Amino acid sequence: MIKSFLKRFYLVLILILLYAPILTLIVLSFNNSKTRSKWGGFTGKWYVSLFQNKEIMNALFTTLAIALLSAAIATLIGTVAAIGISAMGKRKRTVIMGITNIPMLNADIVTGISLMLLFIAIRFSLGFTTILLAHITFNIPYVILSVMPKLKQTSKSTYEAALDLGASPLQAFLKVVIPDIYPGITSGFLLAFTMSLDDFIITHFTKGPGVDTLSTKIYSEVRKGIKPEMYALSTLLFLSVLILLFLVNMTPPEAERKKKTHPVKRILVRRVAPALLGILVLVGGVYYSTSSNVAGKKQVIVYNWGEYMDPEVLTLFEEETGIQVVYEEFETNEIMYPKIQSGAIAYDVVCPSDYMIERMIENDLLAELNYENIPNIENIGDTYLEQSKQFDAQNRYSVPYCWGTVGILYNKTMVDEEVDSWSILWDEKYQDNILMQNSVRDAFGITLKYLGYSLNSTDRDELYEATDLLTLQKPLVQAYVIDQVRDKMIGNEAALGVIYSGEAIYTQSENPDLEYVIPKEGSNVWIDSWVVPKNAKNKENAEAFINFLCRPDIAKMNFDYITYSTPNEAARDLIEDDAIRNSKIAFPDAKDLENCETFKFLGDKNDALYNELWREVKSH
Amino acid sequence: MPKKLIDIQGVSKSFGDNLVIDDLTLYIRENEFLTLLGPSGCGKTTLLRMLGGFETPDQGKVIFEGKNITDIAPNKRQINTVFQKYALFTHMTIAENIAFGMKIKKHTKSYIEEKIRYALKLVNLEGFEERMPDSLSGGQQQRVAIARAIVNEPKVLLLDEPLGALDLKLRQDMQYELIRMKNELGITFVYVTHDQEEALTMSDTIVVMNQGYIQQIGTPEDIYNEPQNAFVADFIGESNIFSALMVEDKLVKILGVDFPCVDVGFGKNKPVDAVIRPEDVELEKPGSGIIDGIVTHLIFKGVHYEMEVEAHNYTWLVHSTEMFPVGTMVGIHVDPFNIQIMKKPVSEDEEAIEVEE
Repeated sequence: MIKSFLKRFYLVLILILLYAPILTLIVLSFNNSKTRSKWGGFTGKWYVSLFQNKEIMNALFTTLAIALLSAAIATLIGTVAAIGISAMGKRKRTVIMGITNIPMLNADIVTGISLMLLFIAIRFSLGFTTILLAHITFNIPYVILSVMPKLKQTSKSTYEAALDLGASPLQAFLKVVIPDIYPGITSGFLLAFTMSLDDFIITHFTKGPGVDTLSTKIYSEVRKGIKPEMYALSTLLFLSVLILLFLVNMTPPEAERKKKTHPVKRILVRRVAPALLGILVLVGGVYYSTSSNVAGKKQVIVYNWGEYMDPEVLTLFEEETGIQVVYEEFETNEIMYPKIQSGAIAYDVVCPSDYMIERMIENDLLAELNYENIPNIENIGDTYLEQSKQFDAQNRYSVPYCWGTVGILYNKTMVDEEVDSWSILWDEKYQDNILMQNSVRDAFGITLKYLGYSLNSTDRDELYEATDLLTLQKPLVQAYVIDQVRDKMIGNEAALGVIYSGEAIYTQSENPDLEYVIPKEGSNVWIDSWVVPKNAKNKENAEAFINFLCRPDIAKMNFDYITYSTPNEAARDLIEDDAIRNSKIAFPDAKDLENCETFKFLGDKNDALYNELWREVKSH
Repeated sequence: MPKKLIDIQGVSKSFGDNLVIDDLTLYIRENEFLTLLGPSGCGKTTLLRMLGGFETPDQGKVIFEGKNITDIAPNKRQINTVFQKYALFTHMTIAENIAFGMKIKKHTKSYIEEKIRYALKLVNLEGFEERMPDSLSGGQQQRVAIARAIVNEPKVLLLDEPLGALDLKLRQDMQYELIRMKNELGITFVYVTHDQEEALTMSDTIVVMNQGYIQQIGTPEDIYNEPQNAFVADFIGESNIFSALMVEDKLVKILGVDFPCVDVGFGKNKPVDAVIRPEDVELEKPGSGIIDGIVTHLIFKGVHYEMEVEAHNYTWLVHSTEMFPVGTMVGIHVDPFNIQIMKKPVSEDEEAIEVEE
């Protein structure tokens, strides 16, 4: 009695553990509020907007096209290879199987990087084709692995029996061997399909501008938070897999054996389904070969942060100038940098942060801008150009796009004293109510500032002092996070959090109890600026693009979309809402910024030192 | 005597360093039930596969109806095979399996249907058309494999240990079935087995093989009663085999005792092998036989008793309808006619002697 209860309890527990995350996702996909931490009522709007979102739909189609094409081609190659391998002598077969298995066991990141390097080495421009080739490559071993056992099971004698009965070798192969190993081929195809669908890392390294699969698309959204549309899409994907599994398992194999399958089903399974698949793949291929063929047209390849531009702006730019925009997104400066450095893709215009621009200039990766082509730069406030000199000494390489500060976001209902200093983050009163940024430079920057030093300090004593202080703070910190600061603060889960000013404006709109402040000791003021890499192929188009972004109405559109402070004075004047136009968060007074600095590139050695100290803090 | 259908002329085959068939010559007559018998690895299956066209001999020729078919592909031969593990097409129904060869040859639908009905009737599987192979028992699958082969009207049906996977009772039933089918079809069967009982029951001619050589060719009676060497004697049925000395014509010294026999022409004082079948050993009162021994083992086998008798440091195998309890002293007597004398191979290698025809 108890035993059977325990058994059942155990089963239920496992099921809950397995499905709780998916259930959460499904629930959130119907959440009317944009944040994960608040239930804003039931809605189906994300499903509607999902299907209206051209980018997501494109990514979905690319994903499916690549998964289907790569699985189909890998199945073909893999099956033929498996047949060849199984005909080999034992020793040779073992060796070959070993070799084919290596790519499967190999870490994805190694496969991804080596494929990228190969494509670059043979001057194969990264894009849809390279992703496809990469996916075919890593899918082949899976197909071989699932076909081989079936081939082993199939006695060689069925093939010989067919020959014996008068079939030619080809007939015997098609009519006897293929149907015999068909289950292996199907499972190989499905395995390859899922592997391709799932893959992020290899796709990430082999993709070119303008092409995104769902996984890379979702990842590029991480910075701004994953859109609820993605929850909706994930829910739909999960349900389709569920239905598919259900259908597959519905057919009882016993009944199938006793009598022949129903003729309609037979025709569906044997003829219609493969034909449809074939057509889909073919149409997809043709569609892509035409749609991704932008060569010859006027174009500009943009590499920007995820969710860092109103898509409408791109449409307007294309309409007005006739220059086609190939738009690609990155997640962090550190991911962007090696791509530019490797020269794998000739991006025309990129939007790195201050210290990264300094590093790119140092490494001679950037082209000097021709400011005659960017007359709208006059709209950018002089203060910002002045601040840019910290990383672009003579204002020759960059045009500011967005900027902001790092400060403290606090909940007025939980903190009833005046917040004006970083010291409050060390106040034991707020134990377990403090959220810190999980990022080396931000964490150290704050602490160095609190101690009265420069946040670009490379002085060992100062850094050790900061390390000790951070270690001291650790027991008080609820969590070291990045994105979740926003959601946790909205959800009243913490009293204080270190946050970027752009995020602060959004959190206030969701939770009016939140207040943002730049501590008096000063903080980090950051600037993301547009630059043109040295290997850009369409420099003039890039400059036209930058010029377009500096137009007041366009800059205003982007401000409304991103909510990060704009350095464009003329755009600020266009903001209708007084509260926002005069917001201390978006546009702090000059005196608030008095003690603020931008991050500088400290050199690889100091980077390593920072990282080491940060590890020390985290592992303490 | 029916005429020769297949003539195998001096074929050899090796896989790597392993010589499987060495310069083998054999002919098969029309309408003959010929069995290739031998232990595993003796080359019998390889020989069969050469007939089917699945192996090409390194040397020698295979002549079929006067034509050299040595290099002809399997699908171009008027020979069909029933494979050891049936090799049914598991994704096809029984009817589709049987129709396979005929569809390839583009026969009409009505012809095919007629043939399927006929074949299933022949193998006693009427009404099985729409079943799948997996749902059939081993014996039924075997019959389907035969039906699938014979609908193509081959001149020769090759059977590679077709009953090996069946249980004893079923195997015996199928033996009679096969004989019946062969008589009904009137074609040549070439049958491979390592089971001597199967070979003795069904065959017109038995070819005993070992280590790539033919040891003896003959009717089941010949092979059983007159084994030409110790290998055949040992392989066919159970035997008492002695290293003996041919003292002179019609006298052989076995275990140091002189036994009268009927064989002549081996010379004087020549080492030979002597074979005595267990059923030819007669037990009598001690002292009245040629030598005396003691019964050490007794099993009741139904038709007869199987006994072991220890005499002159040799364990004699004896089959008798008369029972002597364990521990009984007995005299052993053998009719001179029942002692089979064989030339002794000089060395190990020569144990596998090629037989001249």
